[in-house]
Amino acid sequence: MKRYSLLLPALIFLFIFFIIPLMTVLVESIYQPAKGWLFVNYLKFFTQRISRVAYTRSLLMGLLVVAVSALIGYPTAMAIVSVKNDSLKSLLLTLVVFPQMTNSVARTFSWLAVLGREGMVNNLLISLRVIDTPIRLLYTPGAVFLGLLQLFLPLMIISLTSSLENLPKDVPLAAKSLGATGFRLFTKIYLPLTSEGIVSGCTLVFTGCITAYVTPAVLGGSRVLMLSTLLFQKASVTLDWNMATVIAVVMFLTTLAVNYSSKLLSKAGVKS
Amino acid sequence: MLFVAFIILLGPFLVIFFASFEPTSTLRFPPTGFTLSWFKKVIAMPMFQKSFLLSLRLALLSSFFALLLGVPVGYLTARYDFKLKRFIELLTTLPVIIPGMVAGLALLKFFVLLNVFDVETTLLVGHTAIVLPYVVRSTVASLVNFPASVEEAAMSLGATPLKNFFLVVLPNIRVGIVSAFILTFITSFNNVPISLFLTGPGVSTLPIVMMTYMEYYYNPSIAALSTLLIGATLAVVLLAQKIFGISKLL
Repeated sequence: MKRYSLLLPALIFLFIFFIIPLMTVLVESIYQPAKGWLFVNYLKFFTQRISRVAYTRSLLMGLLVVAVSALIGYPTAMAIVSVKNDSLKSLLLTLVVFPQMTNSVARTFSWLAVLGREGMVNNLLISLRVIDTPIRLLYTPGAVFLGLLQLFLPLMIISLTSSLENLPKDVPLAAKSLGATGFRLFTKIYLPLTSEGIVSGCTLVFTGCITAYVTPAVLGGSRVLMLSTLLFQKASVTLDWNMATVIAVVMFLTTLAVNYSSKLLSKAGVKS
Repeated sequence: MLFVAFIILLGPFLVIFFASFEPTSTLRFPPTGFTLSWFKKVIAMPMFQKSFLLSLRLALLSSFFALLLGVPVGYLTARYDFKLKRFIELLTTLPVIIPGMVAGLALLKFFVLLNVFDVETTLLVGHTAIVLPYVVRSTVASLVNFPASVEEAAMSLGATPLKNFFLVVLPNIRVGIVSAFILTFITSFNNVPISLFLTGPGVSTLPIVMMTYMEYYYNPSIAALSTLLIGATLAVVLLAQKIFGISKLL
C-alpha cells in the first residue's frame, strides 16, 4: 500500500489548487451566504442582449468551423492516409499539427498581416483591380472564423486520420468489388466506419471554439464579442464578478454537455 | 483539398515571415524592402526580455513539477489496478477538459484576490496544473510499450521497487518523458487563458505582453517577435519529430 502514497502529491496538489477553487467559483455563482440564492444572475445572462449575442455567436461560430473543418479535413485526411512513403506521411502530419504548437498571439498576429489594411488580401485585390481602396477585413466575424479554422482544422484532420488508419483496408476494397463507387461508397462505407473519429473531431473543434480566447480577442476585438472575450471583459474591465462567474459556468456546462452528448452519439454510432 | 488545408494552416506564417522585414512602420505584405531593425528592436526591449524570462522560468519549473507529480501517477495507473483508479484518471485529465478561461478566473478569485500567494507563485501553480495531464498521459503511453515483464525480471533478480523504478523503468521511458517535457514546455510557454487573469503590473508572461503591446503599436516589431517564436516552435517540432516521431501527440 505504500506505493499508492506516490499518488498523494499529485492528488493533493490538484485538489487544493484546482478542484477547490473551481468548486468555489461554481457554487458562488449560485449561492452566496450574504445574498442567498442567485439564479437571477443566470436570468440576466440570458436576457441581456450583450451576453445573449456573445453566447449565440460563439455557438454558431463553433458550428460553422466544425462544418468547414470537416469538409476540408476529411479529403485532407484521406489524402494523408493514402501516402505510401512513411517519412513523408509523418512530415505531413507534423506540419498539420505545427500551427497548434505555435504561440497563439504570434499565430493570430500573422492573420493581421494577411487581413490588414495593407495586408496580403487587400494588396492582392487592389493590384487585381477588384477594389480601389482597402476594405475592412479585420475585426469581423469572418476574420475570427479564419483564425479559428486555422487553429482547429488540425484537430479534425488528426482525429480523422487516426480513424481512417484504423479502417481495415479490405472493407472498401470489398465494397468496390461489389460495385460501390463515389458518393455511395463514401456514405455507406467510409462515413459509418469513421463515425467515431468524426464525432470526436467535431467535439474537439466545437469545444475548442467555444473556449478559445486569443483568436476572437485579437481578430474580433470588442466588435465581435464572443463568450470568452466577454468573460474577460466582465472580469477585468468592468469588474462585474457575478456576471463573469456566470459566464464561466455557462461555458463550462456547455462544454460538458457537448462532451457528454458526443459520447452518447459515439455509442449510438458504434451500435449501428 | 490537401493544398487548401495547408494554405490555410501554414500560409499566414509565410506572410508574417516576410512582413517582419518591412522597413516602414506599417504591417504590410508584400514588404517594400528589407531590414532587420525590427528584430534588433524587439530583442533589446526590456519589456519583452523580462516577460520572456518569466515565461521561460514558468515553463521550465511547471514542466519539472508536473513531471515530479505526474510520472508516479502515470506509472501506477499503467501498471496496477486499484479502487480509485477511474477517479484518479478523471481527476488528472480534468485540467485539460476545463476551459482555460474558467480555470484562470477560478485561480484568480481564490488565490490572488484572497492574497494567499503572490502572482508568480499562483502562475506557477496554474501552469503546473494545466500541463500535468500531458505528463500522465505520456507516461502511461510510454509504459504501454515497455512490458512489465522486464521490471518483474529485474525484481526477481533482487532489485527493490525503488531501484527498479530508477534503474530500469526511467531509462527505458526516457523518450516518453523528454517528449512530455517538450510538450508541457510549449504548452506552458504559450499559455494565455490562465496567464491572462493572473498577470499583474510588472509580472507578465510574454504572450500577454505581446497582446497588450499590439493594442497600442501596429508595427512590424510584433511581426518580428512572432516570426522568432514561430521559427523556434518549428525548429523544436521538426527536431522532436525527427527524434521521437509524431506518435506522442496522437
